Amino acid sequence: MVAKTAYSEDAPALEIRDLRVDYGEFVAVDEISLEVPKGEVIGIVGPNGAGKTSTFKVISTLLEPTYGDIKLCGIDILENQEAARRILGYMPDLAPVPRDLRVFEFLDLYADAHRLGSKKARRSRVDECLEAVNLMDKRTSWCKEMSRGQTQRLVLAKTMLHRPKVLVLDEPASGLDALSRREMRLSLRQLADDGATVVISSHILEELAEMCTALCIMSLGKIVSRGSAEDVRRELGQTIQSLVATLVDQPDNAAKWLGDQAGVDTVAVTQGNRVTCNFDGDGAAQADLLAAMIGAGFRVRAFGEGRSSFEDILANVASEARTPPPLPQQAQDVVDSAEPQISQS
Amino acid sequence: MIWANPIFRRYCRSRLRVKGLGLTMIITLIIATFIFFSTRTMAGYRMDMEMIDSERTPLVPLLVVQWILLFLFGTGQCAGGMTTEAEEGVLDYQRLAPMTPLAKVFGYLFGLPIREWVCFLATLPFTLWCLWRGQVDLVAAGAVFAVVISSAILYHLTGLVAGTVVKNRRRAFLASMGLVFVLYLLMPQIARFGFVQFQYLTALPTLAEAGPAGLPRTEGAALATAQALIDPESRPFGLNLPDWGFTLITQAVVSLTLIVMLWRRWRRNESHLLGKTWATGLFAAIQVGLIGNALPLVDSGRIFPSREMMRRYRMFEGWEPDSSEAIIMVAVVVLMSLAILWIFTAMISPSFDTQIRGWRRVKKLGRTRLLVGSDPTTGFGWTLIMALCGAVGSIWFAKGIIESHWFPGATVPWQAMLAILLVMITGGIGFQAMLEGRGKKTIVLTALFVGIVPVLIAVVMAARDDTLTTPAVWIGSLSPLLAPFLAASFIDIEGLPIEVTRVAPLAFYFWQLVGILVTIKLALGLRKKRAEVAAIASRPGTTAELTDS
Repeated sequence: MVAKTAYSEDAPALEIRDLRVDYGEFVAVDEISLEVPKGEVIGIVGPNGAGKTSTFKVISTLLEPTYGDIKLCGIDILENQEAARRILGYMPDLAPVPRDLRVFEFLDLYADAHRLGSKKARRSRVDECLEAVNLMDKRTSWCKEMSRGQTQRLVLAKTMLHRPKVLVLDEPASGLDALSRREMRLSLRQLADDGATVVISSHILEELAEMCTALCIMSLGKIVSRGSAEDVRRELGQTIQSLVATLVDQPDNAAKWLGDQAGVDTVAVTQGNRVTCNFDGDGAAQADLLAAMIGAGFRVRAFGEGRSSFEDILANVASEARTPPPLPQQAQDVVDSAEPQISQS
Repeated sequence: MIWANPIFRRYCRSRLRVKGLGLTMIITLIIATFIFFSTRTMAGYRMDMEMIDSERTPLVPLLVVQWILLFLFGTGQCAGGMTTEAEEGVLDYQRLAPMTPLAKVFGYLFGLPIREWVCFLATLPFTLWCLWRGQVDLVAAGAVFAVVISSAILYHLTGLVAGTVVKNRRRAFLASMGLVFVLYLLMPQIARFGFVQFQYLTALPTLAEAGPAGLPRTEGAALATAQALIDPESRPFGLNLPDWGFTLITQAVVSLTLIVMLWRRWRRNESHLLGKTWATGLFAAIQVGLIGNALPLVDSGRIFPSREMMRRYRMFEGWEPDSSEAIIMVAVVVLMSLAILWIFTAMISPSFDTQIRGWRRVKKLGRTRLLVGSDPTTGFGWTLIMALCGAVGSIWFAKGIIESHWFPGATVPWQAMLAILLVMITGGIGFQAMLEGRGKKTIVLTALFVGIVPVLIAVVMAARDDTLTTPAVWIGSLSPLLAPFLAASFIDIEGLPIEVTRVAPLAFYFWQLVGILVTIKLALGLRKKRAEVAAIASRPGTTAELTDS
């Protein structure tokens, strides 16, 4: 018999065990497990169809999983939904707002629902949240008149009204310009500094990597990598060293010259007089290559190792999802030998 | 307190703004004022009515306006409002709000149609003036308005349920409108065939009862006299309760059922609309209501539709019910019971996903069995109980009508009782086993090709030629929709066509035998599948293994 679960200060902020979400025959989330300690800001990324939104909906108690256990600060969300919702803040993707309410009315509705006190206390908290997301000047505006970015910030304000312990934000920066994204990042950082645990998904991967203390990559319903940004980059990024040389002039000639050097391949000229290539030499060989390049008359402004961008990583993950690698021979043999039996049954 | 409900307050804010409410209120007041003054002036000055009578004339037209506000617009607002929130995506915010499910239900129930309620209240001063100056019996007036408010709440709940179940905003609005018209136009017609209690879902019996008190005295007295002559008092269950009392009780039961549906959905979005216990209890209550409401009307003959027709043409002299009329009424009651059984069965039968989730939870909680009556459990046993209730209710009704003084010497033979029992059980269990074991698509195809097409073919054949009546009966008997009529035809009363009485029993037994065999096969298949689900759900694995259709 499972013991009744309750809020615990010592328990991780989020604990997922063997989570599975099926839509009929389609497996959206395939038995993932994840533990997020308190105070962490974890980014969950993956290509479309990876299972992120389904996972977020389950965590936010809006969707019942096919099976699996999820706990928020020790509270089993399936057994004790109301208690879980009190400490949870959820912001959906392309967060909607009602068209017939003003900004302060929208926030006051949820302040009231969360029983944040008297009318004065609620007003004070609403103003505090509007200040935090820089929307105080829009207090009396209609929700429907807000721009995309303002709407996102408004819903973020609504999400943090009741000071949740765990925030689940599905694409909070979606549709925002660079300035708005910066403001969003600052708001989220403040929330994390105040002790909240933030679980966030985004397609702006480099930004996510900058903001998050941990990353989790999903693909085809499974977690393919988890750890700090560097750990993930190391695990999923290219194994072959890439070099980037920035020249004053003659990038094409430099590229041609590099292509003739031993250990160099996949040379490309990118904008800004930059030449990139793959190089399989160690640090000393890199230094020799640089010396040879300068000796050949090329004026090199900058030279260094290139890192796989997260877009590259995600693209790799997505393409592997579309064309799964061939089975190891041993596994293929097992499948081949089983086939006649399968067809007979 | 409703005024402290955040959702109620939210809609008070949005729907009672001066701009939106102002225009609606102006239109409502213009119409109410026009009705108030025009009818009184016409009655007082043109028709020379006394003051008391002329002050009463606006009551009925004002009631029509109030009906339109509350029942039409209010119900549409409830249905449309729910689907609007779902379509906009803000309904999820409400799901996450830490309010009890019941608080959410009441917040929407009174919040969504708040503008219509306010406009209704704005018309009340006119009504109160008429009641006062017209010296209308306050008890009668109070009864009418109690029923109007109870009916409004019932229809608003219907709108909320429609908005919760139907996902498209326009369809939800139309569905709720359709439900209101069905309740006011269709249900009273079905009431003529024995389901008398359905009329208590409307305010019509109360209006008929209290109507004379609200009309000008001469007309009111004439109406009261005519009612007493035409419709001698026959109270449901023989109880000495006024019609408004039965109406409030009936509407309270239905309203409570709708509240339970909404509560279940707010508590858990994947819940069935009704739990198994509640659905079974409600079905049994409907059967009890059928007996209690219908049978007291047999002695006076009020239960027979032909009597109503004769009443309209004032041709009571020598009226007697036709034997075929009685048999058709029995058949309609069986068919209605079967239809309600199908609806309830569809509500309580678990889908494949529900079963999987249920078994997983059982394993997690360290149990070995599903909780009795929970959503993942099979609806088989409960459907059987409902089918038996339906059979008992229908047989009791049949005996009440056929063995009355209108048909001396007639009895309901055991063959008819057995036939009714078979129809309910094979129709109910077969439907349940197919739905739970094979899914909705199979049900739809079966309903089409086994339920409807044979009837259409039989109708065409029978219309073509008398010599085709026999094959038409054979083909039509395949359909579960005609089975109640065949079961009722076992009641051997003179007057039925010879071709029907000769062929119908054979065709009925044949197709019932086929139905029993198919039902047994489906039931065994269901048992096997549930065992497979339970076994596979106890270990991780792809659910694709489990679907075989």
